[in-house]
Amino acid sequence: MAFVRGKNGKRWDKRRSHGRRVTEKPASKTDHGANERTTRVVPPSREVKRLLEGIGTPRPTPFKPDPFQLEAIAALEYEDVLVTAPTGSGKTWIAREEIRRLLDSGRRAWYTSPLKALTNSKYQEFIDEFGAAKVGILTGDRKENSDAPLIVGTTEIYRNQLFDSLRGGSEVSADLVVLDEAHYLADEERGHVWEEAIILTPPRIRLLLLSATIGNAHEFALWLEEIRGVRCGVITGPPKRPVPLRSAVMLPDRRLLPLFNESGNLNPEIVKLAADERRSDRR
Amino acid sequence: MKLRMPEMPSATLLAALDGYNLLPAIVFLPTRRRCDQAASEAALSRRDPNDKRREARRDFMRTFVEQHPEVRGHRHWDTIIRGGVASHHAGHIPAWKLVIEKLMSAGLLDAIFATATVAAGVDFPARTVVLTGADARSASGWRPLSASELQQMTGRAGRRGRDNVGFVVAAPGIHQDPERIAQLLKVPPDPLVSQFRATYTTLLNLLDAYGSFASVREVAQRSFAYRDFSHRITQLENSRNESEEKIRTALQEAGCDIPISVVLGLERLLGARARLQEAKPQTRAEVFYRWLNEVVKPGRVVGIGRSGRRLVMVTESRDGNVRGFREDGSSASFPHERIGRVYSPVYRLKEEDIERAFDDVRARGPELVLPEPRLRDADAEETEALKILDDSIEKLLPASVDKQQCTDVIWQLHTTAEDFERASRRIEALREEVWQPFEQRARVLAIFGYLDYEQEKVTDRGRWLADLHIDRPLLVGEALENGLFNSLAPKELAGIMAALTADEDRDYGELELDDDVVTSLARFEDIGFKVSAEEWNHGLEPAPELNFSAAGAAVRWAGGTDWSEIVRETRAEEGDLFRMFSRTGEALLQIAGLRRSHPQAANMTASVAEMVLREPIR
Repeated sequence: MAFVRGKNGKRWDKRRSHGRRVTEKPASKTDHGANERTTRVVPPSREVKRLLEGIGTPRPTPFKPDPFQLEAIAALEYEDVLVTAPTGSGKTWIAREEIRRLLDSGRRAWYTSPLKALTNSKYQEFIDEFGAAKVGILTGDRKENSDAPLIVGTTEIYRNQLFDSLRGGSEVSADLVVLDEAHYLADEERGHVWEEAIILTPPRIRLLLLSATIGNAHEFALWLEEIRGVRCGVITGPPKRPVPLRSAVMLPDRRLLPLFNESGNLNPEIVKLAADERRSDRR
Repeated sequence: MKLRMPEMPSATLLAALDGYNLLPAIVFLPTRRRCDQAASEAALSRRDPNDKRREARRDFMRTFVEQHPEVRGHRHWDTIIRGGVASHHAGHIPAWKLVIEKLMSAGLLDAIFATATVAAGVDFPARTVVLTGADARSASGWRPLSASELQQMTGRAGRRGRDNVGFVVAAPGIHQDPERIAQLLKVPPDPLVSQFRATYTTLLNLLDAYGSFASVREVAQRSFAYRDFSHRITQLENSRNESEEKIRTALQEAGCDIPISVVLGLERLLGARARLQEAKPQTRAEVFYRWLNEVVKPGRVVGIGRSGRRLVMVTESRDGNVRGFREDGSSASFPHERIGRVYSPVYRLKEEDIERAFDDVRARGPELVLPEPRLRDADAEETEALKILDDSIEKLLPASVDKQQCTDVIWQLHTTAEDFERASRRIEALREEVWQPFEQRARVLAIFGYLDYEQEKVTDRGRWLADLHIDRPLLVGEALENGLFNSLAPKELAGIMAALTADEDRDYGELELDDDVVTSLARFEDIGFKVSAEEWNHGLEPAPELNFSAAGAAVRWAGGTDWSEIVRETRAEEGDLFRMFSRTGEALLQIAGLRRSHPQAANMTASVAEMVLREPIR
């Protein structure tokens, strides 16, 4: 499926200059807001210009999967896969494509997510993608089409199914289990459920774990290999964020300062302001 | 120029961001109330000049309402339409949060004011993320933002395909600290840390599936947490083997034909001797406090001060501190040092029993006082024990060794033997650490008949309890076994389950509870007390208390009160009510699943669940 990036983004592009607006007189309490459009614009400093350079909407480009996405799909052919990447960098795409591949060949998948809201929206998303007949949902208070080849549900329900199957009840009939937000394993309250789900999933079922960036991905994957006896590939998302991030400080007079200078160190002006503040605090 | 100062008025902040072309933005604020305020303030003084977008929002919301009637007439409706801004936090119902997320991704909002909870899970990015502080608000006050929390927030900056660049802006705020934010931004991501733990549900299911404690233990040892342990165990085993080898070689070189166990045995005896010596009480006070630690326990009455005339019923005794009730019912908490005497009977900690206990102590106090230990007695015991140890050390040496040279070697190897023993103890402790929480739970379950500890089997009772995926299954199981659920009216059942599943400290209004409900809650609490007492005896943390305020709201809701009414009456936040009812409904459905073992209760809970899980709770 190809889709086009950047639907509704256009309207921001030409409307604003990057200038700083300064009110003619200090704004009184009721004065801010609508009236501030009468301010004059002073040209921004060089560093602010650099900070804001390139702001705006990219030109729509046809969707093309990132190499890490393709790599993950390829790896899933012969091993479990742990994908770590920041939010919004396209982890779900991997799961969706792999699920599509399985469904097309008549196989089955389970997709778990930590929150009921996420589960519901994934359910809708998959119905739109694969058709209502192919998707079922299982949460604490919702059970629909539970024999469908693709089941979306909370991790707790999946874990409970594993318990049931171990105790001789219904078999977990899946060829792939996707654990979305796998970093929930570190959640104080509920993390143990993720761990149990991983430990108890039969090695014949392929595991795809989608996680936020974590500090010990390789160790985590080694653990998976040790307990499951199946190789586990680690696919790290793009080293850079899909959209680069810049940081700034807004001062009470509404001036914007870059948080870091060009060499990546803390902006000396901010260091100075902070030092001044500490001095005046002491007084 | 101050960096830490009150937050900018929200409209000013948005105007400033707009001036730099930094909208749309997600502005993170510390509390739900601040989010709501900021959104309304911004909407009041800020009118989206773009009529088309106002119209688009109105159309969008109208269409949305057709599928989600529960958001109709929401109190923030105008804020969104007029101002193009919204607040988003856990106090809102899911449908409201959904419409905001959809409006945002349709490009129809300029700003969302949100608490940090939004950052996790929900995906609606903006061009800019604004932080108003380097601290986060928690239940117990302000605490520094963690690197991963900041990462979650900055993860929302920059919309893929719609922004060339995303921004994080530190704006003025009392808890602002750009230097710290700069630091946090550079911190590498946190490692994943295992939270593996024992629960009744896991234990029952695994034991029923595998049929032996050994296999449950084996599963526990496959946990990610245990992986660290097993690495440490391997290291310790290596160092233990090294020590062993050293001892063996040293004995050989000295030509001593004695087993290594003699060296280790000597170390053990010496260690025991040292510990005993160290623990030997030196003063009368020391003997007294140590004795207090043993005898002051929940259910006992103590007298305060020298005279011991003021009495306190102990409910908790920990780390040399006591909590309890005075005779007038007021609570008291004080250190052990203030206790003058301890009375021997252990009373039950129920209201009427407490009163009776005080009367009892008043009536025949002197005969009930526990005798205090004397220093000389304590001393004599320890001295005797030391003597026995000294004898054993004597016997160990000359009996197996005739050459002076060997005796010397054994003494020289003492520190190596100490290393060996220390590693062994550590290995044992690590192995036990994973299993112990399961064992504690197994013993508690055995007491209540859910498993047979000797046979390592789940009983019939335990089998249905294993199916109950619920908070505090043991308490609910006991309530079922005691027939509590069969004797309740449906509404009361909803109340009880709400009291159990609600967050312990959240307030859902002060709705009046009628006598029947109070009585059933009290019976439920009684059962809870019995369960907790056994748990306490086996070293398990006491469970959180029942939330009576949640019970009040749930009784009313299950009785058919409509949504706007219940929101008004409880004055609770919609989102909190929603979550609480939804969890209550799920818990009820769990019980409703026990058709085979408890048909009557299952039938009734099924119908209560239906009443609880009606619109907008689904």
